[in-house]
Amino acid sequence: MTDSPQALAATPRPRRSRWMLRPSTREALWGYAFIGPWLLGLALFTAGPIIASLVMSFTNFDLLHVDQTRFIGLDNYVRMTTDPLVAKSLISTFKFALIVIPVTMFASLGFALLLNHPQLPAKGALRTLVYMPIMIPLVASTLVWTGFLNTETGWLNKAFEAFGLTGPDWINSEVWIYPALTLMGLWAIGNFMIINIAGLQSVPTELYEAARIDGAGWWTQLRKITIPLMSPVLLYNLVIVLIATFQYFTQAYTLTNGKGDPNNATLFVNLELFREAFVFSRMGYGAAIAWLLFAIVLLLTLALFAFARRRVYYAGGDR
Amino acid sequence: MNRSRSSPRALMVAVGVVAILAAACGSSTQSTAPSAAATVAVPATAAPAATAAPTPEVAITPEPVGLVGPNGGKVIRWFIGLGGGGQPAQIEAEQKFAADFNADPANKDKIYLAPEIYSNQVAAQQLQVQIAAGNPPDIIGPVGVEGLNIFRDNLLDVKPLIASQNFDMTRFDPALVDFFDIGKDGATIGVPYATYPSFIYYNTKLFDEAQLPYPPTKVGEMYNGKPWDMAALRELGMKLTVDKNGNDATSADFDPENIVQWGFDMQWADDRSDTEATIFGSSSVVTPDGKTAQITPQFNQGLKWFNDGVWKDHFIPTSAAINSDLLAKGNLFQSGNIAMVSTHLWYTCCINPAAPAKPSFSWGAAVVPENNGVTTAKLHADTFSILDTTKNPTEAFDVIAALAASPELLTNYGGLSADPALQQAFLDSVQKNYPDSKIDFQVIKDMLGYADKPSHQGWLPDYQKSRDALKAVYSKYRTTAGLDIDAELATLKTTLQGIFDQYNAANP
Repeated sequence: MTDSPQALAATPRPRRSRWMLRPSTREALWGYAFIGPWLLGLALFTAGPIIASLVMSFTNFDLLHVDQTRFIGLDNYVRMTTDPLVAKSLISTFKFALIVIPVTMFASLGFALLLNHPQLPAKGALRTLVYMPIMIPLVASTLVWTGFLNTETGWLNKAFEAFGLTGPDWINSEVWIYPALTLMGLWAIGNFMIINIAGLQSVPTELYEAARIDGAGWWTQLRKITIPLMSPVLLYNLVIVLIATFQYFTQAYTLTNGKGDPNNATLFVNLELFREAFVFSRMGYGAAIAWLLFAIVLLLTLALFAFARRRVYYAGGDR
Repeated sequence: MNRSRSSPRALMVAVGVVAILAAACGSSTQSTAPSAAATVAVPATAAPAATAAPTPEVAITPEPVGLVGPNGGKVIRWFIGLGGGGQPAQIEAEQKFAADFNADPANKDKIYLAPEIYSNQVAAQQLQVQIAAGNPPDIIGPVGVEGLNIFRDNLLDVKPLIASQNFDMTRFDPALVDFFDIGKDGATIGVPYATYPSFIYYNTKLFDEAQLPYPPTKVGEMYNGKPWDMAALRELGMKLTVDKNGNDATSADFDPENIVQWGFDMQWADDRSDTEATIFGSSSVVTPDGKTAQITPQFNQGLKWFNDGVWKDHFIPTSAAINSDLLAKGNLFQSGNIAMVSTHLWYTCCINPAAPAKPSFSWGAAVVPENNGVTTAKLHADTFSILDTTKNPTEAFDVIAALAASPELLTNYGGLSADPALQQAFLDSVQKNYPDSKIDFQVIKDMLGYADKPSHQGWLPDYQKSRDALKAVYSKYRTTAGLDIDAELATLKTTLQGIFDQYNAANP
């Protein structure tokens, strides 16, 4: 009786206090409360320094002459356009990117295809072995590679000598340093390989069966089924590799003691901005170079996403 | 129902916030455990290649103190690590010194010494940050000229304090008295403390195998009937450079692609081409007015000599060889595969291999060869400096005077005292560490009298950037054959002039 519409309509609604929030609002507030500490950390330790860096890039802030700091407008950015070292660092970075990005993408896909083959025995062990080098700290592994690639006593050149060949001067040659760094990077493609394997395993097997029935070979299956259906995963890997390449620092710094040898071939943008900010104490100029790097990476990433809109296939999407 | 659901939530949020804030605000002590103890103290000015560092360093930051120390005295913060002082044995000596200093009744209610020790790898950046943050220490050291150049504009002129505190400068070698008049406008930024003259270290075993007499131990002495000059050094170096078939570099059958032993190098010379060329005579790449880049005849001659030594005569190793196992990845003399190196006294830290390996050869000291009748033995020297931001300059100088008078500290730093009366203790410690080597210590003392002036580490406008340009030349000639040295030096001069002009425009 009390539940009849008339009864409910007759029952006066309790007056909501002005302080009583809607359940949805309360729910949202609790959500913000839980992520509050993280937001605080983001503001204090990420957003704050980012804004400070932007402001710093418009000043001549120098650690050793703080009292002489003043606003200089776009001078730092103008200076970058005529600084030969900044130009050289950009060239070195792009040269390196042109080699390392395709090699990493192809190698990680190749390893993934190999280690996902149904007839390959001990897949788990092999995947672990390929992934393991990532666990080694970067500085330690770079020092080991320095010995491995040494022209005189390095194992790689000794192996070449065993076949009657002369190995190149990997570390001191402006030409061979990029393949050397790429080789070092290949040692740690386990991450991308694992992601590619996950992508491979998400491709429906019935598509391969149907393709086989239609007479498609391995190469056709790869081009027409595997790669299109894996394209979101490949895009993800490509974005990560691109960003990592433009942030390349540790190996170059360790290999050359921060000098960018040989002849600035490894003076990548990240290393150049580190040197300006922390070696030469010109924090303002270093901050400006950091924002240049950000702009470049942002543009390239946006270009990639624009490309992805046409080329990447999302299951359940329009294409 | 809402109340019972919200209580655990509120508690969880509160706990989370407290945990994060506590983690963010907690203090931390910067320290890394050493992996092996040094058998010989590493000196303050040592700047070995990263791959040849003898012992990892430890950093210790003490508990923060206010303006007044526990003994009632004014706090003087002592920043250690810019040069040396970070090795375990040195830290122990520094902490003992500070403890004894603070316990001394003479310092009660007067001075409290608070040391803070940083790893050499980060000390310069750490000090820059402290200065920028308005929290600079009072004194820094032990530190050499190179380290001081970075902070030249921040150092106090101690000349007035030397006079007012009656600090005795007469006990020092006259060549050292004005060595530290290298501050801005000729300010004196330190008093002579530890010195590290350079000389030739030679491997007696390799000389004996080649049946060659050892190099001279007195300036002006002949070698094999000829003057001991750079031509003689070259000839001797080539005779002591051997390929895997046993042919030396003077032989027509010599195979430069398979060298197993080299004759000479200037070891750990700051990776700078102008530093190496000091053996040909002192010079600077900037004119005395600090405005114009210059390439002196000594620098030109020196760089050509070293370049030919690497690529034409082959008695000096390439960069690849230096970083190979044959030359102990940069610690050339320790490898036992190089007959002679020219480097500083602080290198006595690093000849012995790490225990339990035993040294495979004994060594001796010889004088640096002359060039055109002039002998130049580049000098490293350490001091303690006071920052110009100190609020207690007199007390800071008193601490420096006490540090300079401590023989225990100096022995740990591996330095030859600038005070002749205190030199023997260090020399005795060196002989003790190399019992099988007959070292003529008079060579070391004599080389002090041939110090380079201007110093190869002398200040340059925009010091770090200028130094970088000089290092680039070194890297290039050690890795690239067939360079046109005159063209490279012309490019260097242009680069340096650009750096100097930019610096001078910003600092009129």
